[in-house]
This record gives sequence, C-alpha cells and structure tokens, in this order.
Amino acid sequence: MSLSVQQRAEFVATFRFIQVFLMETIARWVPQTPEMEVKVLFGRHIWELAQQADSLGKRVYELRAPLQFSLRPVESYVQVLEEFARTETTPQKISGFYDVILPGLAARYRNYLERTDHLLDEPTTRVVEKILNEFQKMIKESETLRKELPQLCLADKNWPAHLAKPEVSVPTIVAHRPSAAIA
Amino acid sequence: MSATQNFDAALFGDGPARDERFTEKRRWAECANFPNDHPLKHIEFFHRQMNEEMNGVENAAQSLADFPDADWNVRMSMARQCADEARHVEMFRRIFESRGGQLGEYPILNFQYRIIANLGDLLSRLVVQNRSFEAGGIDAVTYAIDEARKRGDQELVDLFEMQQADEITHVRFANEFVYQTIRKDPRAALQVARALTLASTAFMQVMGSEGVGSVEYLADERGRLEAGFGLEEVKAATTQAMKRRASYGSH
Ligand SMILES: [Fe+2]
Ligand SMILES: [Fe+2]
Repeated sequence: MSLSVQQRAEFVATFRFIQVFLMETIARWVPQTPEMEVKVLFGRHIWELAQQADSLGKRVYELRAPLQFSLRPVESYVQVLEEFARTETTPQKISGFYDVILPGLAARYRNYLERTDHLLDEPTTRVVEKILNEFQKMIKESETLRKELPQLCLADKNWPAHLAKPEVSVPTIVAHRPSAAIA
Repeated sequence: MSATQNFDAALFGDGPARDERFTEKRRWAECANFPNDHPLKHIEFFHRQMNEEMNGVENAAQSLADFPDADWNVRMSMARQCADEARHVEMFRRIFESRGGQLGEYPILNFQYRIIANLGDLLSRLVVQNRSFEAGGIDAVTYAIDEARKRGDQELVDLFEMQQADEITHVRFANEFVYQTIRKDPRAALQVARALTLASTAFMQVMGSEGVGSVEYLADERGRLEAGFGLEEVKAATTQAMKRRASYGSH
C-alpha cells in the first residue's frame, strides 16, 4: 500500500514525539540517578535524541506539516512510554531504555523503511537510516558500561518482558488524522 | 558571612543523587581547600571541577525536563550542553585519575544544582547557570590556562582551552535567550535581576568570605565578548572583579 505525503508526515511527526519524550525522560532521570557513569551516558544520549528529533522535525516541514511538528502516538503506545518513564532503579532504567524501548523503536523505523518508496521518500529514509545507526551506537555504549560496572545489570532477567510485552502488542503507533488535518 | 552561619533554606532545593563513593558537603569551608603551593592543590581541583561539571549536566537536564514548552532552539542548546558537560566530567576524571586521584577521595559541593534547579523559570535558571556561574568560569579558566602554561603543563592547557571553547558556547546561547526574552517583554529584566540577587546571596552562604576571598582572577574581556555580552557588561564585570580583589586583598 502506498503512502501519501500526509501519511508520511504523520509517521515522521509521531517518531519526533517519541524522540522528544525519550529525551525528556532521560533528562529527568539524570539528577535522580546516583551513579556518575550513568549520568554521563544519559547526558551524552540526551544530545543524540535531541538531534534525531530535530532532523525529524525538519523533515516533517518538508512533508508540508509545521516545522518541528510532533504527533502524539496512539494511546496504547503512550501508555507504554509512560510506564517506561516511571521506571525506578538504575538497572531497570538502563535495560528499559537500551534493551526494550530503543530496539522496539528501531523495529518501527525499519518497518517504515520497508513501507515507504525509497526514491520518492529518499530524504526521510536518509534521516531514519542515520538514526538507526546512532541507536546501535547508543546501545553498544550501554553494553560497554554494563560490562565495566556489572552492578548496573539487572538481577531479575525477566523484568524487560514486563515492558517489552505491551510494547510489541501495539501494532501501529501512528494516530492518523483526517485528510489535511495537520497542515 | 562566617562559615557557621545558617543557610536560608528557601534559596536551596534538594541535592542531586550521588553514589556511595562521594561525600557531599554544604559549605566551601568544609572542603579540602589546600593552599596554592600544596602538592595536592591541583589534583583536588580536578575532582571538585569534575563534580561541578556533573552539576552542569544535571542543571541542563533538569531544565530540559521541566520546560517542555520552551522554544525548540533553546532546548537544542540545553541538550547539547548536557553532552558537553558530560564530556567535561570525563575530561576531568581522566586527568584526575591519571595523576593518581581516586574518585570520592575529596568532599564535593552540589550548591550549583541546589541553587539553580530551585529557581522556578527557565530565564532565571539560564541567567544564573550560564550567564553568571559559567561566565565566571570563563574568567577562571583563562587565569588557569596562564598558570598551567607557566608550569609547562601542556596536557592541562589543552584541556582548559577546549573546555573554555565549550563554555563560551553555553554562555552565548543563554545571552541570546536572555536578550530575546527581554526584547519581547522588558519586565523580564526584573526577573533577571531578582534571580541574580537570590543566587549571589545563596552563593555567599556556601562560599563564605574565605571562599570568595580565594578568587584571584579578573574578567576575561575577550572571552565574555565572544560569549555575547555587551561592551558595557564586560566593562562592569571587570570593574567588579577589580573591586572584589582589592577589597579582599586588603583584609
Ligand atoms: Fe563545563
Ligand atoms: Fe558549561
């Protein structure tokens, strides 16, 4: 099924909403998280998330929506994000972000790349492919830190499933709007 | 103000979380303040500065979380600042450990976070964090670069010069934000003045006259101009620094 300009803008604006939400969540955790090395990791990744949101926000404007426009995802996915933002311990925060939320979002970005026409929508695919590479680097950095400081690893190996289950159960995250509603 | 006098609780919020390696003190006088010629003077400074940079990350991150409706460009600058200050933490940690320091060896102060995150609006926070504390940092680093160069410590000269370039960027975006805000609403200038008064009162309570009196440097005029201060503001900063030095020098 082909995508219209508006549908593409809605995907990109939804991705931007999620990126900003994640940036704010990690930012709120920085002062509350005791471990210095984790504050540093989050501090660096706040900037990654911000740049990713910014490039999506510029692309959404090219797709005829307002500059830096964000679209709130479907409610079931917002609930997943909010549940993630309530995570309490440092190992859970790290695992929730780098083992569940980022890989889950990466799968949705890859799904978009499969759906969109790479010639017609090349500027979006370039933005999304770049973000996917950066996600890999961010995840790798979290793994390196967990190897250095094993106390940051989860004791309860089943914990990620509690977040991953609802995450994968949301088939589509875009709350599509009636035609021309976002212009 | 003496180091034993009470804090005004309204000027300070909760501190940021620290792991068990670190011991937080509330006053400058309770820290390990070695004399200038002491062999541990520099190494203790690296540890103290590393934690101040951590406060920088924490303040910028807190403001990103607290002000979701702020202009996207200023949020981008704060996000960038989070990464820069995180890198500064790592820079000071690297030099501290490579010269024999152990994390947590010295007490730390978190007054920057306690004062700034306690301010209720973004304008006040940027005025105090970036335009006041970090602008003071530009002055301090200029002096520190000269001192490190005199000692032939090229590794430290390189570190300070790169840190200073980053700090100028942080002060500049705050200056732009402050000028734009005042241009839109001239009453915001009162908010700026109020925030600076609160912060300098709180700062004096932490530092005491001993801590402030230990400051030896003047304003870095070129750095401040690059950071977006107006000529009059730079001159005022220089005059203030000279007065401060003269008054403490006479004690
Ligand atoms: Fe810094
Ligand atoms: Fe800074």
